[in-house]
Amino acid sequence: MSNTTESKGVKRRDFLKVLGTAGAAVTTVGCTSDGVSKLIPYLAHPDQTVSGVSTYYASTCRECAASCGIIAETRDGRTTKLEGNPEHPLNRGALCARGQSALQGLYNPDRIRGPMVKENGAWKAVPWDTALALLSQKLGEARSRGGANNAVFLNQHETGSFPGFLDSWLAGFGMRPHLSVDFEADSAAIEANRRTYGVSWPKLSFADAKLIVSFGADFLDNWGMSVPQQLDFADARAKIEGAPRFVYIGARRSLTGLNADQWIACKPGSELAIANALAGKGSIAEAATKSGVAEATLTRLQQELASSKPALVLAGTSGANALDVALAVAAINQASGAVGTTIRPAESSPAFDGVARFSNVMAVTEQMRAGQVPIAFVRGVNPAYNLPAAAKFADAFAKVPFKVSFSMYPDETTELCDLILPDLHSLESWGDAEGGKGVVSLQQPAMDPVFAGTRATADVLIQLAQKDPANAAKYPQKDYRSVLIGRFPGGVSAFTAALQKGVAAGTAAARTTPPEAAAFTWPAPIDQTSGDMYLVTYQSPVLGDGRGANKPWLQELPDPVTKVLWSSWVEIHPETANKRGIERGDIVEVKTASGTLRAPAYLYLGIRPDTIALAIGQGHTSVAKLEDHNGKNDKNVPMQWGYGRYARNIGVRAHDLLVAGSNTAGGFALTSTKATLTTTGDRETLVSTEGSARQHGRGIAQAIPIATLLAGGGAEGAHADEKPSNEVKVEGKEGTGAPKHEEHVSGEASHAFLPGLRSPVAADAQGQLGAPSAKDQGKNKGMYATDHWAGMANRRWAMTVDLARCTGCSACVTACYSENNIPTVGAAWQNATVYAVAKPGFNITRGREMNWLRLERYFEGADDGQWTEDFEARFVPMLCQHCGNAPCEPVCPVYATYHSPDGLNVQVYNRCVGTRYCSNNCPYKVRYFNWFGYGEPDRKQYAFPEPLDQQLNPDVTVRGKGVMEKCTFCVQRIREAETRAKSEGRELVPDEFTVACAQACPSRAIVFGDAADPRWSVSSQVEDKRAYHVFEELNTYTAVVYLKKVNHPGPASPARA
Amino acid sequence: MTQRRKWTAIPGLLVLAIGAVMLSAYSGASSSQGNGPDQPIKFPHPRHAGPVAKGGLGMNCLYCHNNANKSADVGMPAVNTCMGCHASVVGTTDAQKAEIKKIAQYADYAAGGKNGKPIPWVRIHKVPEYVHFPHVRHVNAGVTCQTCHGQVQGMEKVYQYSSLNMGWCVNCHVNGYDPKDGQKAAGYDSVPPANYAGGVAYGTPGSVAGIMMTSATSAASVPGSATPGAVHPAATPSTERRRARYDCSACHY
Repeated sequence: MSNTTESKGVKRRDFLKVLGTAGAAVTTVGCTSDGVSKLIPYLAHPDQTVSGVSTYYASTCRECAASCGIIAETRDGRTTKLEGNPEHPLNRGALCARGQSALQGLYNPDRIRGPMVKENGAWKAVPWDTALALLSQKLGEARSRGGANNAVFLNQHETGSFPGFLDSWLAGFGMRPHLSVDFEADSAAIEANRRTYGVSWPKLSFADAKLIVSFGADFLDNWGMSVPQQLDFADARAKIEGAPRFVYIGARRSLTGLNADQWIACKPGSELAIANALAGKGSIAEAATKSGVAEATLTRLQQELASSKPALVLAGTSGANALDVALAVAAINQASGAVGTTIRPAESSPAFDGVARFSNVMAVTEQMRAGQVPIAFVRGVNPAYNLPAAAKFADAFAKVPFKVSFSMYPDETTELCDLILPDLHSLESWGDAEGGKGVVSLQQPAMDPVFAGTRATADVLIQLAQKDPANAAKYPQKDYRSVLIGRFPGGVSAFTAALQKGVAAGTAAARTTPPEAAAFTWPAPIDQTSGDMYLVTYQSPVLGDGRGANKPWLQELPDPVTKVLWSSWVEIHPETANKRGIERGDIVEVKTASGTLRAPAYLYLGIRPDTIALAIGQGHTSVAKLEDHNGKNDKNVPMQWGYGRYARNIGVRAHDLLVAGSNTAGGFALTSTKATLTTTGDRETLVSTEGSARQHGRGIAQAIPIATLLAGGGAEGAHADEKPSNEVKVEGKEGTGAPKHEEHVSGEASHAFLPGLRSPVAADAQGQLGAPSAKDQGKNKGMYATDHWAGMANRRWAMTVDLARCTGCSACVTACYSENNIPTVGAAWQNATVYAVAKPGFNITRGREMNWLRLERYFEGADDGQWTEDFEARFVPMLCQHCGNAPCEPVCPVYATYHSPDGLNVQVYNRCVGTRYCSNNCPYKVRYFNWFGYGEPDRKQYAFPEPLDQQLNPDVTVRGKGVMEKCTFCVQRIREAETRAKSEGRELVPDEFTVACAQACPSRAIVFGDAADPRWSVSSQVEDKRAYHVFEELNTYTAVVYLKKVNHPGPASPARA
Repeated sequence: MTQRRKWTAIPGLLVLAIGAVMLSAYSGASSSQGNGPDQPIKFPHPRHAGPVAKGGLGMNCLYCHNNANKSADVGMPAVNTCMGCHASVVGTTDAQKAEIKKIAQYADYAAGGKNGKPIPWVRIHKVPEYVHFPHVRHVNAGVTCQTCHGQVQGMEKVYQYSSLNMGWCVNCHVNGYDPKDGQKAAGYDSVPPANYAGGVAYGTPGSVAGIMMTSATSAASVPGSATPGAVHPAATPSTERRRARYDCSACHY
């Protein structure tokens, strides 16, 4: 403005007018809490609970057959977090991603909310009395007509008292025992175990093995009991010296295969020839011819097996000859003396006792087709999805006059039923399981039912029996809880005491074993089927047999191998793809005798060039033509058929391609046919969080061959005697700045760690930085005054991640979502409003994912994409590194990110204005921006439709649009522990708490704590020879320290560092 | 500047002014201080928590708000807690009877509580979602309830006494909290009587401690206090004071 302002410019009076308007505006917009909310008290305060303080209930996970122990954290009547039960012998405190996601089953917005009857093809909600009366009538009819013995009850496989209880209930109504169905169970391995060791699942001891050989047994994915196996495997590998080498044999490298030191890529179905040769029943040369593996490789394996005793050899193949492979492998184990050491039948697990085979299910399906079945029940099983299309289950099921579903979810089978009596979730109901031999694992409700209209199936069965004159006398109990207490040794007081721990000594009720595998047509040998590629189908390590698909955490969890999410993909080797002109994302058509599918191609090094692979788990559909809710805010849509809004119409169902054939143990043959692969000319962007699969020399995931490590830690003498100039002695801690082994990646700076990993600022302020000579140490030579606030806390929260333990399973990722209210962003309706593309995962293709902790996977070797078995995968959990010298901090214009005195790189949401400079400047790319209102209930991109919002952690802010967020090192847990310690008038006890990812990790790879205090275990972990910082050369002084992966190269294979 | 240019400048200034207003609103410079909405039941704090001399019962705040020294959330008394006394205390005046009857209706007392409904109290004190305020830390450090909530024992209708703005929080944390100020805030000029240290039973008639401090026992867990039930907790430690000034993540996460 010019200098004439005074005379002719805005006059004082005008200015006051403006001010006046502004004043009025203050009164209107001024933020108030008027009418914000109500304070709703209890009617009667529950005993032993305090509002705002969590109560922890020990219970049992029912997400797979293993039955791990869980602790359900419940706040004000709502369960918010699941963690492993440290007292439980199976999982010892760890919990996998699927187990943690049970919460999203509990709060699933697509749960069935009350009994429903199908009338003239349309579903109608009815009261329980009506529904039960109808079922009583149908039960009576079935019994009076005399066909009741052909009734079918398909129950999810579980151990514990319920199977026996159910069978006696069925017998009361003249019905035959139920089938305990688990489509994930490996029938061939179970049958071979029975025949060889006399038990269904012996204890596998990885830690005692000198060599692990797996024939397709994906013990880190779904095979067997993944969490206990993973705990043991990680312990074995963490031994470093004397750790077992691991060889994986199979046509496709699964997650388990990627953890192997060596991959032997044999043709699908040829595992038998190799196993026989190793067992001495065939020649190596013949095996090499049949399997397409180099003879030298097999000879070396044979020699290694002979010299490394005891070995642990596992079989988990999925072809028609799976039982033969498993028996041949059992023979190898018996011959090598593994039985009793690495395989312990005496410590067997009952997890798979009584599990029905695929052939049993097929046999009853045929009975249905023949019209012999008067009434059918399904509970927790989804055969309409899980049986191959060739089995034509829906047609057979339609022949059953009355079909009842106890399902919680609107799945494919339930949609075909006539009556739905929705069950309670395992977190709302009573039960028990066998946690091991002689161990009963109790399942108790952690909260009241989310939906008042649901009832526990066991209670419903009791109510039905009590209505029936012939059965009433047998069921004097009020409910199933009374039944459990009644058979618990010691009665109600012992039961109550046992509930606190979750486990007790004891055995579950006896159960019936399924009938012998019915006669069934075996599939033709895979080589005789038509097609140009072998087709391998496998169960997704994330979605399992498909049961996880309705949980957004699992949909948003990238597949650990391919990093693809919210979709299906076809894995093709780059060499084959190159020959056929297929690129990543090209839609290919896969055709077999049974069906045809189209899905985008994913080029994967870990598959034979003559093989393609397809994961099972996606492709849930609905029969009924229903309104498609995509593009709408689904907040108020109560339920959606096709297994719920998160599963419906996503990807393809691999079963459509498969033959309804079983192996000789009666298990479903997942790999039984060849397929024809053709290009379609269409393409789409693959939904993936994989940036680059290569490290490009950045040294993010480092590894060290075992020989180098043992020969002196690879120190190469570089720093062995040097004392870095900034090393200071910290009270009670000698030599904290000890030199580390450093791998020389180009561009990398070499330095030693600061004392206790503290930030330079903190060290400086305490006079511990910049002392140029020994005599000046302890004096302040830095730029801060010694009483500066930044130097106050003698703490440095830090983390170590042991890559020798990490298997890439991604349980930590889900733990982080669960603990920190991280929104999922991939559901179709979350992007449709902005981009008019209602495609699942579209937000992720635009880089909008929010995973604070991502699991990066890098490949080493096979750089040219040519076929080789010799490449290595490395997994790195990548999260905010809480740099002591953080690049994000100085660029924030509003101080929304800063360094806290206890070493956290803090993000203050209420200061953040969303410039995203911090993310631009972050070398680790671990900051995530809320592009949309994922956390705002009135926005269409809202990530927590009711009642999923009840899971949200009350201790963590739900972030709104326009805010940057990132890993906080679970600051809420730190503050909670501090508050607890303060209230109890004490200091924090070392290792008294940990962060969510470290707590969940089934490999125990993550350790968290105060690196400045030598009593915390993390402070000794950072001293490990293998420790390194990612991007050390940037001088970021990260608080996350990785320990190098340890490679165990074979006798003649090259070592890769 | 010409007359015309003057009128073009006004909209510009207006925009600036509105911007400033919005910023100040979002920064929390204004608050709902003084807000005291009608409640579903006209609960008279003075009758319950007021001093006996003034016709109150001298009940301890923690009798009803019994989570304040255990949890971040204070919690509202369960309807049953009200009925514990009001099953027999039905009131003397018609106005009292009418209000007390409402409790019985919420509790569905006549039918044994089968269809009871919680009382939908209107929330008055609320900090934003991104603020984590643990009552337990403050109460156990000996901060009197009245320091922040005002002399509720004298409020016929409860209103928001303090601004609850960040400046208000930080002010105390930077300058420190002196227990004497807390006593003054509670309405008493002197140190409470000797029986305070030993712990006074809730609602002991005539006990000033009952209404002034949250509880005698809570002071027992104050770190550094030599004896359980020590009366005067130390004023805010200097490290904590500095932390409030510099460490946002103490409250914001």
